[in-house]
Amino acid sequence: MTRRILIIDDEDDIRQVAALSLETVAGWHVVLANSGKQGIDRASQEQPDAILLDVMMPEMDGPTTFLKLKANHKTSHIPVLLLTAKVQGPDQRRFADLGVAAILFKPFDPLALAGQISAVLGWKDTA
Amino acid sequence: MSNLPPEENSLSGAGNVPERDNSQQKLHQLLAGLWEKSRKTVAAHVETLQQAKELAAKNELDEPARTRAIDAAHKLAGVLGTFGLPRGTELAREAEEAFRQAGPIGPAAAERLNSGLNELDRLIQAAVTYPASAPKSGIPS
Repeated sequence: MTRRILIIDDEDDIRQVAALSLETVAGWHVVLANSGKQGIDRASQEQPDAILLDVMMPEMDGPTTFLKLKANHKTSHIPVLLLTAKVQGPDQRRFADLGVAAILFKPFDPLALAGQISAVLGWKDTA
Repeated sequence: MSNLPPEENSLSGAGNVPERDNSQQKLHQLLAGLWEKSRKTVAAHVETLQQAKELAAKNELDEPARTRAIDAAHKLAGVLGTFGLPRGTELAREAEEAFRQAGPIGPAAAERLNSGLNELDRLIQAAVTYPASAPKSGIPS
């Protein structure tokens, strides 16, 4: 089954690495957005199976984007995984309290990323 | 809510072995091409940090420059390890932490920052080709 993943990250390199990783290793279809606002629009239009969301972005950060996604009936059902380079405990607790499906950390292993997402979401077809 | 370290739940233990090796080799090649393009962006982030360090040494680091430095260090911390440079991630995190401290950077912290950024600079300069080692193929050539 071909999964559809939306990656929302303002960092071009991270978007590209994650996209190459998920497309090549797992064969998933990847949709990209470079800001929270664009990500909300894409999520609504594309209806991905999951969203990989960066935390630290200008204008609209990851937590704010997450809350807007959950407040929108077109996107509230889509699981969101935060992707962050923030390693401090208080940050992690704050993100966990939001109700995200998982927190994944940068740097990530491009070979392992699809497996991590599959494990978190219980996708047996790719894990 | 799950919170998984990168080493767990890897695909590396699943699936057809030759097919997996092929996808790993292909990904490695694609990432090598991407690294060539990304080196300029990475070098620009390091330059931003060097400039902020020099301003800090003269006690002239204003808030916009500090914010740019924190942002550059944060981005480097995320991307360098992903490209196979975990030491780069460590150094970038140290720089991010130094620039996040309130008030002027003290002499000892300034020395550590200077040393760390110089090492980071050398690391990037040396990584002319994609730093991560190629996956071993299980397919006889």
